[in-house]
Amino acid sequence: MLKTTHHLKSTVLFFLIIVVWYLLAQAQIWSAFVLPGPEKVLTAFSEMCQSGELAASIYISFRRILIGFVIACLLAFCFAITSLLFPKAKPYYDGILNFLRNVPPLTLIPLLILWFGIGETPKIIVIVLASFFPLLLNLDTGFSGCDTRLLEVGKILGFSPQENLKKIIFPYALPYIVVGMRIALGYSLRAIIGAEMIAASSGLGYLILDAQTMSRSDKVLVGIIVIGLLGICLDFLFGLFIRHSFPYRTEVTS
Amino acid sequence: MTTLTITALHKSYLVKDQPFEVLKALQLTAPCDEITVILGESGCGKTTLLRLISGLEKQESGTISFSEPTKLGMVFQEARLMPWLNVKENICFGLRAPAPARELAELIATIGLTGFEEALPATLSGGMQQRVSLARALILHSKLLLMDEPFAALDYFTRRKMQQELLRIKAATKTGIILVTHNIDEALTLADKIMVMQNGLITKIWQLPANKQRDILSEPYIQFKRDILNTLHVN
Repeated sequence: MLKTTHHLKSTVLFFLIIVVWYLLAQAQIWSAFVLPGPEKVLTAFSEMCQSGELAASIYISFRRILIGFVIACLLAFCFAITSLLFPKAKPYYDGILNFLRNVPPLTLIPLLILWFGIGETPKIIVIVLASFFPLLLNLDTGFSGCDTRLLEVGKILGFSPQENLKKIIFPYALPYIVVGMRIALGYSLRAIIGAEMIAASSGLGYLILDAQTMSRSDKVLVGIIVIGLLGICLDFLFGLFIRHSFPYRTEVTS
Repeated sequence: MTTLTITALHKSYLVKDQPFEVLKALQLTAPCDEITVILGESGCGKTTLLRLISGLEKQESGTISFSEPTKLGMVFQEARLMPWLNVKENICFGLRAPAPARELAELIATIGLTGFEEALPATLSGGMQQRVSLARALILHSKLLLMDEPFAALDYFTRRKMQQELLRIKAATKTGIILVTHNIDEALTLADKIMVMQNGLITKIWQLPANKQRDILSEPYIQFKRDILNTLHVN
């Protein structure tokens, strides 16, 4: 019940915006190129659906996002586990990670094109770079921030380092891991435009950039709305997965 | 009977880069089938002593030895439960093999948490959490339980109840207990033996009468209390 009212409440503002948007477009204060009305966007949307352009773009972008996200997850886990198991190794790569974390992925595009061409690789690298760091930071916090008082319980119980890892450190870090993954997924979605600025000929980011050069504001808006909705869907699915897999601590992860 | 013997125990910490000696050649002998209460004011080194006995920390010099191999359990001041595990899982946390269902049910009944087996720690009161942490130590059948001000965070009434429960559990399981506290009434209620600790040393020991129904407001105990207060120079 509470959930339903929550969902209803969250649609109110969407609805209002659409009404105001419609009225503003009807008033023709700005040209249809600057502000195409909702009905024009809807027409563009149905055209793009029928031509299959939209579905193809979503599929391709989605594929890039997922590949990038999975690679970022694997990398982040490798680094986080290494820091956990070999704390002495951490200072060696900490500096370079800190350096890279502060470099906006988009600035690397010229070099990525030079080094990896204009295929899928540079696009996925941009997504990986965008989602890797928020995840790594969360994993590090989760793994290294384990409550020493709980670790002392393990010591009293005579746990081996493996048991400590399995029974205390990992479960303790789990909410951080999940939150980190959720944030990283959001970041990889947001990086898609940047990624598809690299000589792409397909995908949602390309769709928007292409519509821009063709002065099709309605198509630009379709692209933006679809990305936003896709994000909500992904987040919702991820939330479902979390609640299903970790029924405890939902208050931390939801 | 197992005995714990501690000789010439030294331990210091760095406080603002200056070494501060917490334990100064501490000596102690305690039988492991009694309730020994170590009583002292905050900062006298009693928690440090317990942490050294448990092996959580290492002494600089001196020896801690048991007359025969002794399995130790520990109950901390805070419950220290795993927040992601329910009551039952927390109690069995230290077990390598699943606990016999009957024993587990009995233990949960003993600590008065029947019906709360599936509850997560966050949904329990402080007293209930501390009882779970007690059960987590008890299920391992340790010969000696080390308790570091286990009831300090509880309100007066819950604390009284827990003390009575501890006495009952002690009688039923024959587990030895070394309990550290700064509460004189708690010491009088629980102890077979009270050791007063001051400035990193055991300064005085009282053997209390073995009495099942203890009334700490009755004469012999009031006299003990007076003696303890005099020793601690609180009056």
